[in-house]
Amino acid sequence: MTRTGAIIVGLGAIAAIAAPFFLKPFGIFLISTWVVLTIAAIGLNLTLGYAGQISLAQGAFVGIGAYTVALLTPVGVPFFIAFLAAGLLCFAVGWLLGYPALRVQHHYLAFVTLAFTTLVFLVLRNEEWLTNGIYGITGTPRPTLFGWKATAARDFYFLCLCVLAVLSLAIWWMLRSPWGRAFVALRENPIRALSLGLDTRRYTLMAFAIGSSLGGLSGALHAPLVQFIEPNSFALGLSFNLLLMVIVGGSGYFFGPFVGALIAVLLPEWLRITQGYYLLLYAAAIMVMMAFCPSGVLGLVERARIALVGRRKEPATSTLAEGAGP
Amino acid sequence: MASFIQLLVSGLATGAIYALIAVGFTLLWQTSQTINFAQGEFVMLPAFFVLGAMNAGAPFWLAALIGIALSIVILGLLFKVVIVDPMLKYGVLPLVISTIALSLFLKESAKDFYSSQAQPFPALVPPTDVHIFEAVISSQSLVVLAIAILTVVALNLLLNKTRVGRQMQATAQNPTLARILGIPVRQMVLYTFLLNAVLVAIASILVSPIYLAKFTNGETLGMAAFIAAIIGGFNQVRGAILGGIILGVLDNLSAAYISSQYRGAFPLIILIIVILFRPQGLLGRLEERTV
Amino acid sequence: MTSVLAVSNLRKTFGGITAVDGVSFEVRDGEILGIIGPNGSGKSTLFNCVLGQLRPTSGEVRIDGRLTTGMRPCDLNRLGVSRTFQLLQVFPQLSVRDNLILAGQEHQGSMASRLFGRSDAGLGGAAEKMIEFFRLSHLADEQAGSLSYGQQKLLDAAMAFMAGPRLVLLDEPAGGVNLTMLGNLRERLQAYHAEGKATFVVIEHQMEFVMALCTRVLVLAEGRIIAEGAPHEIRRNPLVIEAYLGH
Repeated sequence: MTRTGAIIVGLGAIAAIAAPFFLKPFGIFLISTWVVLTIAAIGLNLTLGYAGQISLAQGAFVGIGAYTVALLTPVGVPFFIAFLAAGLLCFAVGWLLGYPALRVQHHYLAFVTLAFTTLVFLVLRNEEWLTNGIYGITGTPRPTLFGWKATAARDFYFLCLCVLAVLSLAIWWMLRSPWGRAFVALRENPIRALSLGLDTRRYTLMAFAIGSSLGGLSGALHAPLVQFIEPNSFALGLSFNLLLMVIVGGSGYFFGPFVGALIAVLLPEWLRITQGYYLLLYAAAIMVMMAFCPSGVLGLVERARIALVGRRKEPATSTLAEGAGP
Repeated sequence: MASFIQLLVSGLATGAIYALIAVGFTLLWQTSQTINFAQGEFVMLPAFFVLGAMNAGAPFWLAALIGIALSIVILGLLFKVVIVDPMLKYGVLPLVISTIALSLFLKESAKDFYSSQAQPFPALVPPTDVHIFEAVISSQSLVVLAIAILTVVALNLLLNKTRVGRQMQATAQNPTLARILGIPVRQMVLYTFLLNAVLVAIASILVSPIYLAKFTNGETLGMAAFIAAIIGGFNQVRGAILGGIILGVLDNLSAAYISSQYRGAFPLIILIIVILFRPQGLLGRLEERTV
Repeated sequence: MTSVLAVSNLRKTFGGITAVDGVSFEVRDGEILGIIGPNGSGKSTLFNCVLGQLRPTSGEVRIDGRLTTGMRPCDLNRLGVSRTFQLLQVFPQLSVRDNLILAGQEHQGSMASRLFGRSDAGLGGAAEKMIEFFRLSHLADEQAGSLSYGQQKLLDAAMAFMAGPRLVLLDEPAGGVNLTMLGNLRERLQAYHAEGKATFVVIEHQMEFVMALCTRVLVLAEGRIIAEGAPHEIRRNPLVIEAYLGH
């Protein structure tokens, strides 16, 4: 990370910590939503930005995580356990989905995840005995951890922020390790990577499974945040949204998801003036973006920096970068 | 037995429509590495072109032609020139994401600029019942089946018996070799896009009387196209046809025996089974690893 | 004694074209085998079949006696087989050092241990040694993409050696390299080989390179072996001369 970059991140962290003291309850809800969505977006960024696979099921994994916590905590399971269960369950499901789908060369994972999202929606809607169907589940309690009640808006926000910090650190560690190097190889030149003994299939699968588990963890926080969950929130729309978040932020950049989620949370507020043409404009904006700057906001920032500074200091990491080639 | 024949015929009719959609999808993939996630919306949209033309006063047959023409221009030419061509240099991923966004764009456009309500769409023939061996089959199904079969036959003739068609096939199978052989590859690719536009327009006109013209039609039809293409073997036109028909028949048969709540799940389960046990599809070959 | 590499009756067809037509040969431990032949003779296809990049239509490949036909390249690599590529395949965004660490890391421990262990997978020292051996020390932290073509060729070879392979297949290592660098490359390859570390199989166009480097030469034409022997014999073989001139 460059020094300017580190300063910006530092400022961002300070802003994130200070913000809830200056915001009304709705504002705190917005930034909490941002934190929770960022976690899901980080997961999807791993799948898309680092392993180059399109997943249209991240929303479904958020849903699975949310329902896991919403069903377990009211019957006495400690939040921490339910939280971990959500993550592990989604990891396992991700692995099972990805294993056959990634054996083939084409973008089969995209179709499989598309089908999976619809299946999950059907199950959530139909199995009323478990999920209460379209009536949803209300009142998922916010946790008390080690005696600290995280029920109030601000306290719960800080809990989410801590989880985000821990998970970000974990992903950062992973990307610093040989795995990170493997992902770069996988992305830049999978043929060469294979010839060096790198099991590209295994790494891609791991990226997808871990990415999916992050979706589940995000859902685990989502349920106590909004305290009303129903199947429609986790249908294809959410998966699309998360995909667009990752892309707008900058796929393959570490902080891409943070930026993308922020834009996604604030955008509806800004686009309120468009009176319902919001989705249309959003979709059009994505297409325009893909044509001119597929590497997202952070990609633009990088291009600006190169233009100003002259020489590339950090390698471009986006799978969608210009010139990445077929 | 009678109801089985009914289900079979209507299944074949649906399957033929799926086949048309899947063939276009496969051709696009073969010739230009375009995975068109908006294929479903491509089928949803032409119906609205037709309805729009009829609102402006055109009789149905004229409106249908206008619909096909608009489809060729917008979903064929404009799609290629404005969206696909500029993206190709970035690789497959940005293009796929663009088509995902495009599917949303087209869906919202239909909803915002026409109507969010399902619109009735004129049937091709007045609905009468035809009696065959005690089975009661709607004339609609038979006409759909007939037109779809005609289209597939015409498609086959085009691709196999005409020079242009064979050049298109060559381009689909090996663009580099085709270029070396002097085939105008760029033109052939354009033809493929235009052909897809015609196929989806025909499919749209065939399917909308049954489904009604709704902005959400694209979701199920698109999914059907993808699944049919995968069942058949992603890189085979014949596979797409076979996959479409199988999907249509199975889907219709299952409707009779599976609870309506999970109706939509059946094709998805088929997809997962195919991917698990025969990912290359029925007619595909296991991919050669590339150098 | 089993040969390091044994190819039996390998055939590879693409549609109507037979690229490799029943090729059989063995590579003995410690030798440097050259495979030459005019363009289109099937050399690269043969390599790709041996290395798992392509699935042969028929025939067998055995490494140290073990059947490896159709194995994935990554599994072959873990058996001790390594390769360089005709078209350069370094990772341009990574530094020279990182390229080398990447080249060796998959042989260190398991996936799990690599996640929780050191960032360089314990290969820092080995990478240093390799950098020195190939005289790239002044470029160790440069992005591989900024190296000259010849330097990248050296890096490519270095990467192939990082995992301490038993058998190295070099695909046109001399292609596009200028004369001075060529001498350098050949000398480094010979030095590596002299340390008793690996058996080489080299595909090459440039006759001088092959003659100077290889201990035995196979000649391929139209998918079949037409001659075999010591370099100086091959040079004078009329069949070989005709195969080259005839093209």
